[in-house]
Amino acid sequence: MRRCAAILLAAVLLCRVTSAEAAEKGQILRAGDLLAQPFIDAAKSGPVTANQPVTILERRGAWASVEAGSTKGWVRLLNLRLEAGAARPGATRPGGIASLRTGSSGRTATTGIKGMDEEDIRNATPDYQELELLGTLAVTADDARATAQKAALKENTVAYLDKGRSRK
Amino acid sequence: MIAHRILLAAALLALPGVAQAQFPNIGGLVKGVQNVKKLGDSLRKIPEPEEIKLGGDLASIILGAAPLVQDAEKQRYVNRVGRWLALHSDRPDLPWQFGVVETDDVNAFSMPGGYVLISRGMFDQMRNEAELAGVLAHEIAHVAKKDHLGALQGSLRNAALGDFTEYVGGSGGIGGAFKSALINAGKDMFARGLNHDDEYDADRMGVVIAARSGYSPYGLVGVLQTLSAAPEEKGYALMNKTHPLPVDRIERLDRAMGTKFDTVTAVVEDLPSFVALRAAPAPAVKSTPARAPARARSRRRN
Repeated sequence: MRRCAAILLAAVLLCRVTSAEAAEKGQILRAGDLLAQPFIDAAKSGPVTANQPVTILERRGAWASVEAGSTKGWVRLLNLRLEAGAARPGATRPGGIASLRTGSSGRTATTGIKGMDEEDIRNATPDYQELELLGTLAVTADDARATAQKAALKENTVAYLDKGRSRK
Repeated sequence: MIAHRILLAAALLALPGVAQAQFPNIGGLVKGVQNVKKLGDSLRKIPEPEEIKLGGDLASIILGAAPLVQDAEKQRYVNRVGRWLALHSDRPDLPWQFGVVETDDVNAFSMPGGYVLISRGMFDQMRNEAELAGVLAHEIAHVAKKDHLGALQGSLRNAALGDFTEYVGGSGGIGGAFKSALINAGKDMFARGLNHDDEYDADRMGVVIAARSGYSPYGLVGVLQTLSAAPEEKGYALMNKTHPLPVDRIERLDRAMGTKFDTVTAVVEDLPSFVALRAAPAPAVKSTPARAPARARSRRRN
């Protein structure tokens, strides 16, 4: 019981760390209004212009909570562009360890850090031992169903999408 | 005359034991007949067991470039998510196999027959489980649509049908010729990528598979946003070369998705199990020092 509580506490703390670090910078794509709630018919909380810089505070499904100057509100996730070069704070970036790489393939024998570019794939020798190992890690459909049920994942009926129309 | 010989050979093939006894040279004759027939446009229509064998050979190329991450818990977790997603695709019964491969580069691959491999570099960049689901579902869509078989078709069209039959039979020999042609065609496919239209289609299908499975369909959008903001670095080079620009993919998804998913509310962005998985220290691995996950975690806490 105590162990469960500890795990829960750890999870809560982690969530807080994650959200604190998830402050990403972006820009509004199309001018419009920020909304007070993440719903299409929610009250407006202030206008934003195209290319206006924003700080992303939270993501929730189709929506992101943003801060644009002194205005806070919700905007469609698909109406946001992340600031170029601003990869997620805290995430591993391949380039972050570039200095450890040597040679044209970007590999070193000493660090164990591997790249996988076109050259690496062209030079690869098929590895059937790893393929066998991959097979041993697979799970059955029943296992997957049981895990999804335990996680309370809900199945939805959704039709495939057509290409849709351009906004332009 | 040639037609007659083919007919004769075909008839004798039906009775191999008898044929061998009466015509000691039948082996050479059959080989000649098989070699005049080409694989042609039939690759997309090959039976499932053949497709799976072919996929295994192609997966072994990627595994040869980057081995599996030595973390069984993580691998099983990704397999459970992937298998659950695949159950909501048009090909739920394939023997789906998912894996995370040890490289910092950001990429994901799939192969015919239900193989999906994502790089650790990509896994580490994900914000939540819905993003993992988005990437896996995109790859599942490629497999369901048999996009790879279409892409390999051009390179393998002129391969001899007899070689292919031998390859499937697994007896080596002539089959080896087809196999080396397949490995080269596979490397070409991974290096050049699939058609851009196939990528857009897989995006649209992937978000639906994710939503059907109870995940936010916007997970894939989040990944594409990360990619769109990624610095121009070597770690993204192959991914960028083989896919349409992330901003174009986002725009197409925007068009297709619109507000259609606003009513699909029984979806999750993340699960505590995924948060815990990412927080767990990487298991000690012999002979692979300086593992990047530990590096990433220590940075994240700073």
